[in-house]
Amino acid sequence: MFIKIMEIVFLLAAGYAFTHKLLPWVFIKTGKKLGFKMRMTPIWAKRIRRFKTIKRGYYSFIIITTLFVLSLFLELYVNDKPLAIRYDEKIAFPALKEWGNKILFFVNMSNFDKKSDFGQIGNDSVDYRLFAERCKNPNFASNAIKDKNDEIRDLKDELGDIPVPDKYSDEDEIADYNDLKILISDIKKEIGEIRKNVEIFTSGKAWIIMPIYPYSPYEHILDLPQRPPNKPYLAHPMGTDDSGADVLAQLFYGFRISLSFALIVAFIGYSVGVIVGGIMGYFGGWIDIAIQRFIEIWGSIPFLFTIMIIASIISPGFLLLAILLVCLRSWIGITYYIRGEFYREKAKDYVQAAIAMGAGEWSVMMKHILPNSLVPLVTFAPFGIVSYIGLLVSLDYLGFGLPVGTPSWGSLLDQGMKYIKYYPHLIIIPSVAFAFTLFTVVMIGEAVREAFDPKVFSRLR
Amino acid sequence: MHGMTTYFLRRVLLIPITFICITFLVYTVLRLVPGGPIEQAQLQIKMAAMQEGGASGISDDMGDLQIPEEALNELKKYYHLDKSIPVGYANWLWKIVNLDFGRSYIYGEPVLKVIISKFPISIYFGLIGYFASWLICVPLGVTKAIKHKSSYDTATSVLVFIGYSIPGFVACLILLVLLGGGSFLDVFPLGGFRSDNWAQLGFFAKIADQLHHTAIPVFGYLIGGFATMTILMKNSLLDNLGSDYVRTAFAKGLSEKRVIFVHAMRNSLIPITAGVGHAIGLLFAGSFLIEKTCNIPGMGLLGYTSIIQRDYPIILGTLVFLVLIRLTGNIFSDMIWALIDPRIRFGK
Repeated sequence: MFIKIMEIVFLLAAGYAFTHKLLPWVFIKTGKKLGFKMRMTPIWAKRIRRFKTIKRGYYSFIIITTLFVLSLFLELYVNDKPLAIRYDEKIAFPALKEWGNKILFFVNMSNFDKKSDFGQIGNDSVDYRLFAERCKNPNFASNAIKDKNDEIRDLKDELGDIPVPDKYSDEDEIADYNDLKILISDIKKEIGEIRKNVEIFTSGKAWIIMPIYPYSPYEHILDLPQRPPNKPYLAHPMGTDDSGADVLAQLFYGFRISLSFALIVAFIGYSVGVIVGGIMGYFGGWIDIAIQRFIEIWGSIPFLFTIMIIASIISPGFLLLAILLVCLRSWIGITYYIRGEFYREKAKDYVQAAIAMGAGEWSVMMKHILPNSLVPLVTFAPFGIVSYIGLLVSLDYLGFGLPVGTPSWGSLLDQGMKYIKYYPHLIIIPSVAFAFTLFTVVMIGEAVREAFDPKVFSRLR
Repeated sequence: MHGMTTYFLRRVLLIPITFICITFLVYTVLRLVPGGPIEQAQLQIKMAAMQEGGASGISDDMGDLQIPEEALNELKKYYHLDKSIPVGYANWLWKIVNLDFGRSYIYGEPVLKVIISKFPISIYFGLIGYFASWLICVPLGVTKAIKHKSSYDTATSVLVFIGYSIPGFVACLILLVLLGGGSFLDVFPLGGFRSDNWAQLGFFAKIADQLHHTAIPVFGYLIGGFATMTILMKNSLLDNLGSDYVRTAFAKGLSEKRVIFVHAMRNSLIPITAGVGHAIGLLFAGSFLIEKTCNIPGMGLLGYTSIIQRDYPIILGTLVFLVLIRLTGNIFSDMIWALIDPRIRFGK
């Protein structure tokens, strides 16, 4: 137990150091190597300094970014597959390979380990938990060997009863005799194999490194104390759901999916919004009016209902759902703000100067105006992320979100709804995780708004 | 005023265009996507037949199982599936204009009748939730603005942020777990619009039962708009408190109470009041989640179950109503805004 806690503390510390020390350092170094100017304009430096002074927002930022970066490596410490496993001369890294497959989605390493390669009988995947148990207790086979020896003795007794066949015996007797002999030699061979197996385990040529939390959200655990769902208990501190999957593992993976989904939707949506809003504000005139009318129409689509209809027909995956959300909603909100900013900035002298010097329209928009109109983008991003996380959870809850089987908070809530009377943990645990995540992001958003766009209210008393 | 009239006239004229665009989009999606209405209906009937025939083993004539000829024809006729998409859409639109929404094949009744029977339930919860949020958010916002940067302000801000980070339906779920008579307290019923024996209750018992079922969903609606509305109220009052006319009012020696509650308050309420129309639209959009959670048989639950059961006439009917409500709600908001705030002049 103590070791587990130490491991978790170490993991969090490593996550913090990696996210907030190593990554910025690497970023700046490579930036300098590539010849980018890595100095901030004074106004941005001031804003960031102001953001750091708002402690609740800054700490929330550190917590959520650390957790998110850590969650990118989830396969390495919340998984039912071991980090490394060795049996005799064979070494494999199933969890590492699984992580690689997830992060580098274009490679596809096989992380299938055959049972017979790891001292187990059969051709399907290794039972890692059994393997780990055997590592702990190498004398696992003593009973089995005794049983087999007893079996051989019995067979030998039986053999003694049968007369040794001679030329007068009929075919059946000869066959029986030979079968028994073969059986005995087979069992002897089995014993030999078990002995070899035990020897490998005792000699330290077999070891396994399991992740800190050795359950995966995709695994349907079979040896549970009662029919799933299970209430929280020691081995599964947050219980299991009704398919026997561990809730804590689902929470972690759900965190990663929710946050990366929200980030992707926000990123694509804001890119589209910036381009459209920029075009509207920069060119103005009939282009502006036409797009305004279009947005008016597009924005009145009852989009939750529309997404539900579309999702019920095509059941989209992760990326398709994100694109659907971007198309229907997430680009609209920011467009108006960017349009306003572009409208205002375009009239300023530096833009006129850039145009006079012959800069192209695209470069004026993206290189000159955009860096000066980022404030609404930055201040709205956290609130956008909050609403997209909420949206994904809502859609999953309604059953129109990510494909069935994807670990997500919404589907946990949906299950909790089913078992609302008897298994409250299925509702309480995901909603606490959900509310905590959103609360931290809201805190960041509030601090960012305060730092980037401070409102000073003056009033007489 | 002339510019305003043409502005609103143009907005009203835009309703049908917007309406046509949206419904055409959804109609096209339903037609184009593989697994549209017809295929789905066929599949559904096949599945049902397979489940029935499951006990007697896999039937040989599985391939012959087909949607009943008459149902298929009705579906085809209603959506004009034999015609091209634009023609089929035009025909469907003409039927909608004539208030012929088709028949629901789950309820077996005309769609319009089903939808209209669900309407009052949604409106009941939505309106009570909306009024409740007024009753709570306006005083809270005002006191927060008056005591800006005090410890009261900070404490309630935390409350507001928590409210913002918990969606309405999650709040409902948590309350149902805690108070719905499962593992914890048994204070409120586990959802539903009324008790089953409502009709047999006495007058006061009826009211009590109704209120009993109303509390949790209304709390969900309340949470949904709580943070935005409180902060809007606070910021708009703070804006006004810093403005010149308030300074003048103070300067001529009015009491603080009078300045705040008579002069500044009236102007600060404008943005919230103008949100009424938007709220109507949101009321229905947000209700999918809360109505599903609390099992309230309103518009939201109807839309949800019709999507699950692939009752296309109801889906399209609900969509028509949602779009119309939202479009009129938006215009309504602008009109109210223009009415109560003489500074706002649209169309210039």
